[in-house]
Amino acid sequence: MTALTGDAPPRPAGERLRSGLLTSLLLLPAGLWYLVLLVAPLAIVVVFSFGTRARNGGYAPAFVLDNYVRAIQKSEPFITSLQMAFLGTLGCLLVGLPLAYFMATRAGRRKGLLVLLLVVPFWTSFLIRTYAWLLILGPDTGLAGIVLSVTGTEIQILGTGIAVLIGLVYGYLPLMVFPLYVTLERMDRTLLEASKDLGAGRWATFRQITLPIALPGLVTGSILVFIPMMGEYVIPQILGYGRTYLMGNALVTDFLEARNWPSGSARAVFLIIMMIVTIAGYIWFVNRGRRTREVSVL
Amino acid sequence: MSQGDLDATLRRIAETKVDRRGFLAAAGLTGTAAFLAACSAGGGSAAPSAAASAAASAEASTAASAAASQAAVESFPPAGPIEKQLYMYNWSQYISPKNIDAFKAKYGITKFQYDVYDSNEVLIAKLQGGATGYDIASPTAEYVPGMVQQGFLQKLDKSRIPNLVNIDPKFTKLWWDPNDEYLIPKDYGTTGVLYRTTMLPSVPKSWKDFYDLVKGPASGKTVMVDSMGDVFVFPLKMLGFSANSVVKAELDQARTILLDVAPHILALDSNVYGTKMAKGEASMALGWTGVLEQQMADVKDKGYVVPSEGTIFWLDTWVLLADAPNPNASYAWLDFIQDPKNQAEETNYNLYGTPNDKAEPLVDPAVLNNPAVFPPPDVFKILEGSQDTSSNNQRIDIWEEFKQNIGK
Repeated sequence: MTALTGDAPPRPAGERLRSGLLTSLLLLPAGLWYLVLLVAPLAIVVVFSFGTRARNGGYAPAFVLDNYVRAIQKSEPFITSLQMAFLGTLGCLLVGLPLAYFMATRAGRRKGLLVLLLVVPFWTSFLIRTYAWLLILGPDTGLAGIVLSVTGTEIQILGTGIAVLIGLVYGYLPLMVFPLYVTLERMDRTLLEASKDLGAGRWATFRQITLPIALPGLVTGSILVFIPMMGEYVIPQILGYGRTYLMGNALVTDFLEARNWPSGSARAVFLIIMMIVTIAGYIWFVNRGRRTREVSVL
Repeated sequence: MSQGDLDATLRRIAETKVDRRGFLAAAGLTGTAAFLAACSAGGGSAAPSAAASAAASAEASTAASAAASQAAVESFPPAGPIEKQLYMYNWSQYISPKNIDAFKAKYGITKFQYDVYDSNEVLIAKLQGGATGYDIASPTAEYVPGMVQQGFLQKLDKSRIPNLVNIDPKFTKLWWDPNDEYLIPKDYGTTGVLYRTTMLPSVPKSWKDFYDLVKGPASGKTVMVDSMGDVFVFPLKMLGFSANSVVKAELDQARTILLDVAPHILALDSNVYGTKMAKGEASMALGWTGVLEQQMADVKDKGYVVPSEGTIFWLDTWVLLADAPNPNASYAWLDFIQDPKNQAEETNYNLYGTPNDKAEPLVDPAVLNNPAVFPPPDVFKILEGSQDTSSNNQRIDIWEEFKQNIGK
């Protein structure tokens, strides 16, 4: 009876066709980008993972499962990477959450400046920033040297897992802070006031109001940080003195030293599958028992 | 657009609230970009761009190079006018800048492009991935046979390199190029033990000494270069085997020794291990001689020894790439660099021995008498040419196991 209920009248066919064509055209650049730069290389890696090493290194066409067997048997770098990435993500969380909270709620007029200070170093070369930590933690001019001259005890920071963790947390912190900052900034402050009015203490307020609201940002930040940490190569090599053997290092051994592309490809595919499983599990864990799915990656 | 419009537009842009979706999208893109940048900055070579062509070229080029070499035996391309540019693909800081300037001046070269790689594996990975446009590269000799098989190199027309007569015969006709068709020796060196005398109770003279010191006074203060072939020299030579051994029983014994010393190693580093020694972080290193002057120039108590059980000598070479865009300029360079005067300048600069014996009298006497740079004849007897053993799975497995156990 009234046009407010029911579906809108179907549009004329010509208009539908034109708008469908327009949509496809608009999607074409992005679609092409993903096809050429994501799907195709991934497909190549999967194909390579079933091959064998060519005589002088590289790929020789074949269909064998040896590489996957080897990837699973030699899974120690993967487990070490899991541990490091997990600890690194935790570190980013512990440092990033207070920072994001401060920037979102307390910074006031300086908010823009703080965001700038966080972003600009992120634009400088990752490698240079990692090398800078050699000076900060080093045995002569850095932290270890200061400890030595003040207390006389010789401690070693560089070359340990701690140095690698510091490098990881430092390198990827902005990726954790941004999603958290954006989520916390949109939080309705009056909820906090209401909570306090109802008698909740600061910790209870934080736990029951702030944290659940920040959860989507938290999940996004953790994923953005966890995935690159799993594949990290530069930081264990430079700050870890080559003593921490992560998946990135294992892939370099396969591709550059052994020049065994099939073996490296199998390891890469194994890594990708395990990461999909891990992250799916993480999202399920966060969302279990919730009525609404709080997680959207965007 | 009037000024007022511009103002209004800018104000509108500045006041737009960045919503969550937009910000997270930007963060996601930034993160991805950073991740990719980190990967490429990390020094690993990017995955091959045209992988299908790499696979095809591995097959096709062996056929093509067989056909090409047939043709090449008959005739080389004729000499032409020297081009105005040269594209060099080399190790970093490996050519004296004075020589580069002199070359450019002599032949009127306006563009001398110098790109770097930091390991032979990266060079080969880049070529296998389809990199083109380079004229000359400088691989270590044991990789040349593989490069020839894959068709990356072209034969050298020796009539265009008259200065080849200056090369010391003991560096010619070696196993990696028995007819000297593809490579010209550049410089050579050994892999041995660097040490600081004031930080150790005794000076290492053999691999056995090295082993004892690593497990003792130099524990936690020893660095090794991150190179599988060089590190394996230590256990294999200590046990009296060939440094290039691929015999299972011998490698098993080498593995035991490597795992024995692994907990005492400070770092695996091919780039700044000299700096670590200069700072006193390390007192001993398994490595090469280059850092003695480049990173440890001010260290007074430094020393280098070729261990008594023997070690490998490596030879870096000049090769002409198959698709060199500037062949005439390349030949000009190859002849120029073998001029004894220029060779002497090279050795003075990078402190690696020159295989050009006419150049030796022109080298700075301090360098000439440095046994680390120019090993005396009795040391030459215990040197073994290095080979490319990277296809051996057992070696790779042991190497990975060693890397996982360092410092534990």
